[in-house]
Amino acid sequence: MMLRVPQCNMPEQAFSRIKNLLGLAARKRPEVGVTPADVVHRENKWSLLHYRRATPARYKTPILFVPSLINRHYVMDLVPGKSMAEWLLAQGHDVYCIDWGTPGDEDRYLSFDSICDKYLGRALRIAAKSSPRGQAHVLGYCLGGTLAVIHAAAHQEKIASMALLAAPVSFKDEGPLAAWTQSPDFDPEAITRAWGNAPWPLLQSAFHMLRPTLNLAKAMHLVDRAWNDEFLDGFLAVETWGNDNVSFPGAAFVRYIEDLYRKDALVNGDMTLSGKPAKLESIACPLLAVTFEHDNIVPWRSAALVVDRVASTDKTHVKLPGGHVGAVVSKSASKGLWPMLSKFFVDHEARGVKTRGARSANVARR
Amino acid sequence: MMTWDSWKKSFDVWENETAKFLETWVKSPLVLGPSGMMLTQAMKAKAQYDKALAQFWGSVGLPTKRDQERTLHLLNKLESRLLDLEEQLEEQQKA
Repeated sequence: MMLRVPQCNMPEQAFSRIKNLLGLAARKRPEVGVTPADVVHRENKWSLLHYRRATPARYKTPILFVPSLINRHYVMDLVPGKSMAEWLLAQGHDVYCIDWGTPGDEDRYLSFDSICDKYLGRALRIAAKSSPRGQAHVLGYCLGGTLAVIHAAAHQEKIASMALLAAPVSFKDEGPLAAWTQSPDFDPEAITRAWGNAPWPLLQSAFHMLRPTLNLAKAMHLVDRAWNDEFLDGFLAVETWGNDNVSFPGAAFVRYIEDLYRKDALVNGDMTLSGKPAKLESIACPLLAVTFEHDNIVPWRSAALVVDRVASTDKTHVKLPGGHVGAVVSKSASKGLWPMLSKFFVDHEARGVKTRGARSANVARR
Repeated sequence: MMTWDSWKKSFDVWENETAKFLETWVKSPLVLGPSGMMLTQAMKAKAQYDKALAQFWGSVGLPTKRDQERTLHLLNKLESRLLDLEEQLEEQQKA
């Protein structure tokens, strides 16, 4: 069977495709996370970034971005033109971001409470200080969203509103991650006893196993669109981010698996934060939960459940098409997701908690 | 002769079906049991090796890696407590 060269509208495209594919290894990697930011706080390995603004912010309540612990924070600031931070700054927001840093060997003892209560709490207090209301909006992505929810369930004085992107809350789902972590043969403590922190290569291979054919599919997509330099730069930026993982602090990892995955403590109401109960029903701030239909890392139902459980009167669930990462950093995100987040934060700028009930929507790709 | 577009479509169908099939396998107790056990055993073996090494270092009077980790962790905790105190002082000065 013969395979014809991928169809191109123009001969230049065919030429660009071949040229780009041949030069892929030597191609300059796009610079990621380049939006200028000041480090306003450092503690242990984490730091708080404050993105620089050329003009004063139009909106006085800052946004605090809480990224996942096992991925780098710059997913929010991937490359110029595909940076949520840059886009929110342009809309007049004041943006802070937690950079969790790289845990050292000594962080095997770092507890879940230290991260979720002490570190996140301090980041929130620092960000909120610049606001006349003494509050900040929280934008949590993936595990960062889970941390934000747990923190809000114990302390929400400083939270003006909370937006969650693919943040798992219920861990008893049908996904492979739940099956693996709930298997009695899987011993998280054995991992941390051996390595200290849960090593990132182990976590990354677990994520690859979620869809073992994904790399082949990516390769196919790459060949298909290799003629497009903009696509190629975006693809390489996402790959750079996707392969730049960090290990999970040991003690925090064990508690994460035991309490959240195995006991589903957040949903069952048994979660505590530094000894204080962290119940979803205590959350009363305005809430926006965004889930992604084709998310194979965080099944959308697992992230949507928070809307049913919190006490907030102003709560919305939006299900968008797309996957766990693509839907957040793609070009379409700048036309759909990002404006939606900005509008949510602007709507809750002057508090005035609206009293509409829970809403759920499926927003079609524009 | 197969065009690129039809090849791509067939690939997508194959990829989707294969991914679904593999997902059922990786979630199956037949795979989870042995692989979980192998992982745990490998981890236990590494921990045993590290422990033996640490005992050797300890026996010649040198601090082990674990000792150093514990000390560094305590220093980090101390830093956090100092920052807590600074925050509290700031709050009191404001009040």
